[in-house]
Amino acid sequence: MIKLENVKKRYAERTVLDIPLLSIAQGEIVAFAGANGSGKTTLLRLLAGLIQADEGSAQLPAERLYMPQQCYAFRGDLVKNITLGGGDAAKARQLLEALELSALADKPARSLSGGELQRLALCRLLVRDCRVLLLDEPTAACDARGAELVLHAIQAYREAHDCAVLMTTHSPVLAAKGADRLIILNSGKPEADGEPREVLLHPATEWAKSFIAGWKIEC
Amino acid sequence: MIDSFRQAFELLFSFDKELWQIIGVTMRMSLLSTTISCLIGLPLGALLGTKQFKGKSLIKKTVHTLMGLPPVVAGLLVYTLFTHYGPFGSLNLLFTVEIMVIAQVILITPIVIGLSSSFIEGNSKPVIETARGLGLSRRKTAMLCLSEGRSSLLSVVLSAFGRSIAEVGAVSIVGGNIQWKTRVMTTAIMLETNKGKFSFALAMGMILLLIAFLVNALASFVVKEPAHD
Repeated sequence: MIKLENVKKRYAERTVLDIPLLSIAQGEIVAFAGANGSGKTTLLRLLAGLIQADEGSAQLPAERLYMPQQCYAFRGDLVKNITLGGGDAAKARQLLEALELSALADKPARSLSGGELQRLALCRLLVRDCRVLLLDEPTAACDARGAELVLHAIQAYREAHDCAVLMTTHSPVLAAKGADRLIILNSGKPEADGEPREVLLHPATEWAKSFIAGWKIEC
Repeated sequence: MIDSFRQAFELLFSFDKELWQIIGVTMRMSLLSTTISCLIGLPLGALLGTKQFKGKSLIKKTVHTLMGLPPVVAGLLVYTLFTHYGPFGSLNLLFTVEIMVIAQVILITPIVIGLSSSFIEGNSKPVIETARGLGLSRRKTAMLCLSEGRSSLLSVVLSAFGRSIAEVGAVSIVGGNIQWKTRVMTTAIMLETNKGKFSFALAMGMILLLIAFLVNALASFVVKEPAHD
């Protein structure tokens, strides 16, 4: 469904992304982890079509939606914000209910907290149909309950649409609980790739081991 | 000072034909030059604020330099171009309101480009990123940027209008401050000051401020921001 071959992206003289081969199947949820500057966001922006690769080829469906790391609240209430790119108001209200935002449905989106805004931004994508969801740190601003709701909504959407979900994260919980596959990036290159618990418990390289140790996880 | 206030109100409500004619010319010139400058400057500002291209830095430096263009220099330049022996002399525009508008457009357009590009460069990135992530068209993305930044863009338009209505150097050179024809509030104030009628000039200045305030208030009302938005 998604296939990247020898994809490279450079900023100035620095190579920020170097993917020899990456294939992602339909219906798969893939989490990308890595230190700051490891190329996670660059990879998602590239897949979203916001930036172009300097080298290599990418095959992916046209129907894809991207949620940036920095969520933005447009003028107007939550329903208006959700249906901005399409989708109907009734579906928007269902999503608000699922993400426990329905009490705020008619409030201005700019009055939301960071975590609420992140859930709202996710609704903007989930109200529409697509083949690939690209989510840049979808739970970064959420508390534990918020993160759980986000995870549940993503999985429900995947079930309903059989779409691929690619998300970046700094959360081991999100990676372990929410993803079918975890890929750890180091300086733009995949360092480890596999079933999340396997990758977390048995890191393939010393670097991956030291990175995961920093997460202080308990799987 | 109090005498000037009293005189300003008396002037306004005496319905003096010449005063209202001067106010009319001032408004016509300022609104027309602001509109033309915004029509040229806002799309160019958007282009400069969102696109990366070769020579952008040089263009930005030029625009920022032209933002500080002395009005008398602009006036002199336009005068030279449109004087009887100049390249556009045959158009016979010298000492008309039209040429005052041309001089003002030269002065104001760089301000509109400079301010709008700075605003768009600094604020529209998350809007564009979100809109493009949702697969919205370029047209819809541009409309969203305008809608989201309308209060800031209004400030750009009002800055242009403020520069236009308060300008005296260029309009007096190309307009000639001709009674019943090209006299505007600022050139009238200058004339009255030169004649030693300070109190009357101050009263005219107050009327000018009042006009600027009313235009600002009207514009803010039209583009009003709801609470929280």
